[in-house]
Amino acid sequence: MTGATNGHLREITRRTALGALGAGIIGATVASWPRLSGTDIPGRGDNSLSIAIMGTAADAAARQRAIDAFTRLHPEIKVKVQAIQAVDWKDFFTKILTMVAAGTPPDVVYVATEGAQLFAEKLAHPLDEYVRRDAADMREFFDDVHPSLVEAFMYKGSLYQLPMDWNAANMYYNTTAFAQAGLERPADDWTHVDFRNRLAAMRKARTSDFTPYYWTNRLFGGVVPWLYANDTSFLKETRSTGGEWLWDGFYANDPSRSLRSGGYQWLEPNANDDRVFESFDYLRGLVKDGLGVRPEEGGGSSLVGLFASNRIGTTPAGGYWVQGLHEAGMGANDFDVQFFPRWKTQRHQFGTAGYAIMKTAKDKDAAWEWIKFSSSREAMELIFPNPITTPARRSMVNEQLYAGKGPAHWKVFYDTLDRFPTTGPIPAPPQQAAVETALMKNVSLAVSGDERQLKQALSSMQRDLELALRRQS
Amino acid sequence: MSTTSPHRERPKRTARPAAKALANPGAGRSAGPATAGSARHSQRWLAWIFLAPTILGMGLFTLIPIVASVVLAFFRWDIISAPTFVGFDNFSEVVQDPTVRVSFLNTILFVVVAVAFQLGLALALAIMVQEKMPAWLRVFFRSAFFFPLILSAASVSIFMRYLFNEQFGVVNWFLSLAGIPAVPWLTTPGGSAAVVILVYVWQNFGFSFLLFIGGLASIPVETYEAASIDGATGWRKHLYVTLPLLSPTTLVASVMAIISALQVFDQPYVLTRGGPGDSTRTAVMVIFESAFQRLEFGQASAIGVLLTLIIMAITAAQFRLSKRFVFYQ
Repeated sequence: MTGATNGHLREITRRTALGALGAGIIGATVASWPRLSGTDIPGRGDNSLSIAIMGTAADAAARQRAIDAFTRLHPEIKVKVQAIQAVDWKDFFTKILTMVAAGTPPDVVYVATEGAQLFAEKLAHPLDEYVRRDAADMREFFDDVHPSLVEAFMYKGSLYQLPMDWNAANMYYNTTAFAQAGLERPADDWTHVDFRNRLAAMRKARTSDFTPYYWTNRLFGGVVPWLYANDTSFLKETRSTGGEWLWDGFYANDPSRSLRSGGYQWLEPNANDDRVFESFDYLRGLVKDGLGVRPEEGGGSSLVGLFASNRIGTTPAGGYWVQGLHEAGMGANDFDVQFFPRWKTQRHQFGTAGYAIMKTAKDKDAAWEWIKFSSSREAMELIFPNPITTPARRSMVNEQLYAGKGPAHWKVFYDTLDRFPTTGPIPAPPQQAAVETALMKNVSLAVSGDERQLKQALSSMQRDLELALRRQS
Repeated sequence: MSTTSPHRERPKRTARPAAKALANPGAGRSAGPATAGSARHSQRWLAWIFLAPTILGMGLFTLIPIVASVVLAFFRWDIISAPTFVGFDNFSEVVQDPTVRVSFLNTILFVVVAVAFQLGLALALAIMVQEKMPAWLRVFFRSAFFFPLILSAASVSIFMRYLFNEQFGVVNWFLSLAGIPAVPWLTTPGGSAAVVILVYVWQNFGFSFLLFIGGLASIPVETYEAASIDGATGWRKHLYVTLPLLSPTTLVASVMAIISALQVFDQPYVLTRGGPGDSTRTAVMVIFESAFQRLEFGQASAIGVLLTLIIMAITAAQFRLSKRFVFYQ
């Protein structure tokens, strides 16, 4: 075969022709193939219900007991649990999104408040039809779970998850440090001024190798509990309409029924609010006077060890800390917990977590059966045998759970919701990752310098939050 | 040009017997042109078969991702919905984004300081080890200085976080023995930048050190002897003999150090998460945050393309400048 090229005749050899044919066949095959994904790998695409949770091999025994109990109930549903290790929830969601990008999304994902709206907006399937269908079975669950936890999983009038566990930012204190400073247990309604005085007393009693108040720079337990106590936040909080089907169906007689909505919305930044400035200024004062640490970004990994070795006086944390302190060698009376100090209000911050069904789930009915089973008392007792978190069921937060481990006032955990029903979730819109970065990156600067630096940091935060919320959701 | 041109024919005539000899040793000159052609043909196939895994690997894991990420830079894609073509929007948004601008500036600043520190330290230690140490100690130091490089950067950064903790870190404890008050290493812009550079250099200078050791060993002793006869002593010997003759090694070490430093991620991500403020946020961190935290894969690709262009430009400039400053023996 010959062809004219630049005025010269060019010979096309048989080999060239065969090569071109081969390349064409490969190209056509690739082009016509549906998107190649991880499920095309032999052995990956079976029909089991794939469940992704944040966890490690250490939790495997409790998990397996729950799977076995589920399999006895539903032998027709094959369950495969993937425990994904992650530093924090943001890291966990990143890994789930990578699985989505690879074409191997799980069917069910354990999602915390930090990612609830991201999943509701983009990835999750609402549970409304299932909850309505199995209302008779679900009534017992909702009777045992505080509506604030459920509301955290409402998004634009639909329910996307059932809360399994949760934690509020309460105030832990080291009883040895308190005793050394001659301090008694604070009153339930102690104020931010009382708190500061106690820190000063502890500082006076121990001048070195000790921090009266240790806090971390993150969305949970960082600056936000102080903002909530001061009746403000770094984002403007509004509520969606809708959700009456749930509230009237399950919480009609709850004293806080009138407070409930179709879900939280955080649509605008609020870092330039005067009370935000006031709250940051308070924390800046603690840092300046050596009463509190300058918080590191992403810090907190050494917290349990430092607290257990009596080098920290107070820190905000939830029920998830009890088992860690016990394992670090703290006795039941070596620490205790109290409500977060009052300022304008005593509204607390909490985070909760539960299973979400992915839009891409192959068998959503099977996924719902897993969620329904997991919310049962039997399953939750198998999954949470120790105080590694606070179970969403009020009846499970009992003396038996904390026996021999403390704290003495464990009732504070669930009372946070019962006594302060306006207690709110971690502010986490669908753009949570960008919002969290915008908050975290400005906190250290805000509390580390003079008043001028604080104002600059808050205006920078306002600008960063505007950008973050403007990003596609 | 016709394939029958004598210029094309000549190498064929010489290549055929060689190819035949390789394919069928001992066959001698008795085989005809058809056998020789067949041997050449099968040898080519053999070459392709041996090259295929590498070509396939590079195509699948290097070439296709590079092309895909350049293409992706022109789309808005959150990995969940279908991608939308947006032209140069991602590039214009990226250029206007103050965080991206700051992270690129941070990266450049980091490269200048860290690479200078890394090469200077590596060279000084290499000269010291090569000249002042007995042979057995030389072996020890070569291994000791290289050791941090084989550790995981994330693990190193995690334990460095403990060492540099303001309240409870060992570093501040040692400083306190000298009466120096606690330094807020990881919570102030200056302190955190210093720690990130320090940790990065500590972990990476071993590679440059080994290159310099190799370079120093290749300098003939006679050159130093000649320099001594000419009256050169001490640092003048290094200035006028060692540095010029080490320039090819310095070029390689600096190219590799700069490319690696421009892609720094692990140390600032684990140590400071880019903070306080944006003080330790780097270009690769912004790529990671855009893609996997904000789901803006198009923007992440656009930043990646810009970073690649910068790396290529810097490397090209280095090689161009090397014509003036690099001396080969």
